[in-house]
Amino acid sequence: MHFHFIVVTNNPLVRERFEGQVPLDYQPRTFAGILEYVRDQIHKGHRLLSHPLSGSVKPGETPYKSIMISAEQGALDTDSVILIEDCIQHAKKFRDRISGLSERVLDDFQLVDCNLITSAIESALTGH
Amino acid sequence: MKLELGHIDIHDIQFAAESAVKDGVLYVNAEAVKALVLEEENLKGCQLEIARPGESVRITPVKDVIQPRCKVEGPGGVFPGFVSKVDTVGSGKTHSLRGCAVVTAGKIVGFQEGIIDMTGPGADYTPFSKTVNLVMVCEPVDGLKQHDYEAAVRIAGLKVAAYLGELGKDVTPDEVQVFETKTLGESFTEYPGLPRVAYVQMLQSQGLLHDTYVYGVDAKKIIPTLIYPTEGMDGAILSGNCVSACDKNTTYHHQNNPVVADLYAQHGKTLNFVGMVITNENVYLADKERSSNWASKLCEMLSLDGVVVSEEGFGNPDTDLIMNCKKIEGKGIKTVLITDEYAGQDGKSQSLADADALATAVVSGGNANEVIVLPKLDKVIGMLDYVDVIAGGHDGSLREDGTIEAEIQVITGATNELGFNCMSAR
Repeated sequence: MHFHFIVVTNNPLVRERFEGQVPLDYQPRTFAGILEYVRDQIHKGHRLLSHPLSGSVKPGETPYKSIMISAEQGALDTDSVILIEDCIQHAKKFRDRISGLSERVLDDFQLVDCNLITSAIESALTGH
Repeated sequence: MKLELGHIDIHDIQFAAESAVKDGVLYVNAEAVKALVLEEENLKGCQLEIARPGESVRITPVKDVIQPRCKVEGPGGVFPGFVSKVDTVGSGKTHSLRGCAVVTAGKIVGFQEGIIDMTGPGADYTPFSKTVNLVMVCEPVDGLKQHDYEAAVRIAGLKVAAYLGELGKDVTPDEVQVFETKTLGESFTEYPGLPRVAYVQMLQSQGLLHDTYVYGVDAKKIIPTLIYPTEGMDGAILSGNCVSACDKNTTYHHQNNPVVADLYAQHGKTLNFVGMVITNENVYLADKERSSNWASKLCEMLSLDGVVVSEEGFGNPDTDLIMNCKKIEGKGIKTVLITDEYAGQDGKSQSLADADALATAVVSGGNANEVIVLPKLDKVIGMLDYVDVIAGGHDGSLREDGTIEAEIQVITGATNELGFNCMSAR
């Protein structure tokens, strides 16, 4: 099956659920690190396919982030550049309160991030 | 479509042997309510508490708030698709127990959020400090998955609200309001001199704990569509949304949408309120493009002059908001946007994650990053153990003396993007 997307994630649950099912780029980075990594991929010609600030769980609160980008590399997509840059700037406003989270809370953050990207994957698999 | 909404004023809730509404008091048979809750096989326990305005009570973590209502005349029943069948609602007569609410609480996820203080400085930020609340803290069966727990509590809350609402069926309302939206054809001849205005409501629809339902359908699966504004008053739109307490729309907000109320109040005076479009806020960017294309297309088909657009949530939906604005303005239709802000604790940062020069008329529900200190209250309904990690809380937010320092985003409804709050700028 040909996939037109790649999921960039630092979420172990997303890796567990989707490894071997859809194209994954697992990057064990911070939340901000994922946003910056995706920005770099956009500069290489990938396009954003899901919103980088999906979810009402705020940056600084959850360590997990999964973002869908195009598999194809083309000309620089300025809409994607603007959106990821806006999101990086917006995320900086939130204080980091990730330290000291319990396993239960971390598991739940993983679950919510996984569910949000699952909804994007379902949309991507049913149409463009 | 025409709805008579009869308000029965409730001044107090009391536990009693028999459930009834009498002389402005809602008497609740706790055992009957618990039995209703425990019909949900995924719930094994239910603690019921009453929280009254002015009491030293903190309710947390709040999931949803629901107003008890019932259908008195006309097709269907309240909360279609869940409690009632999927008949089209919004016409005939409905009774509402005004001044009270059902509040569902419980930690669906470890970072579950939402505070309602019934007194003190926090009470000023939430409309639900002014209602007498029947609080349900529902306990899941062991090993229950989060999404099943959310669904069970959501449905239990709706059933209890419908049960209590039914008690007002034969009670004479204290006030009756009449709302009517004519057919499209009639709307052209009724007020030909007034600007044609509609309301575009964006519904949170990103996934687990970020969902809204329309007649039982998950809103992420809908294509933007037309709805009579009175349908929402009968519970056609309801919340499955647990995250971002300050700016999520609870079911109560949907039942009492102030944008709808204000547009009806101006109907025939300064504008012609033609109807309402509902759209969603998905995470997949192509879904956003499709939905904003459809929302703007429907506005064009309605031959509108102006549109009010309300957002729900933060970040991701900012993009939907701006897409809707640009595309509707692109049809030559003026827009007013309602949002809230995450402008940093000092209020000096960019407020939204997206912006456009066409967004020239924007109403803000407040800055969710604003810091507040909540005093220790005598009683907690629910549990405080996750206050440190709930949205806007931070390490040390629950202080040793019991006070909580947090951003107002922890408070249910604080920066509501329907304008259902008292925040203003001076």
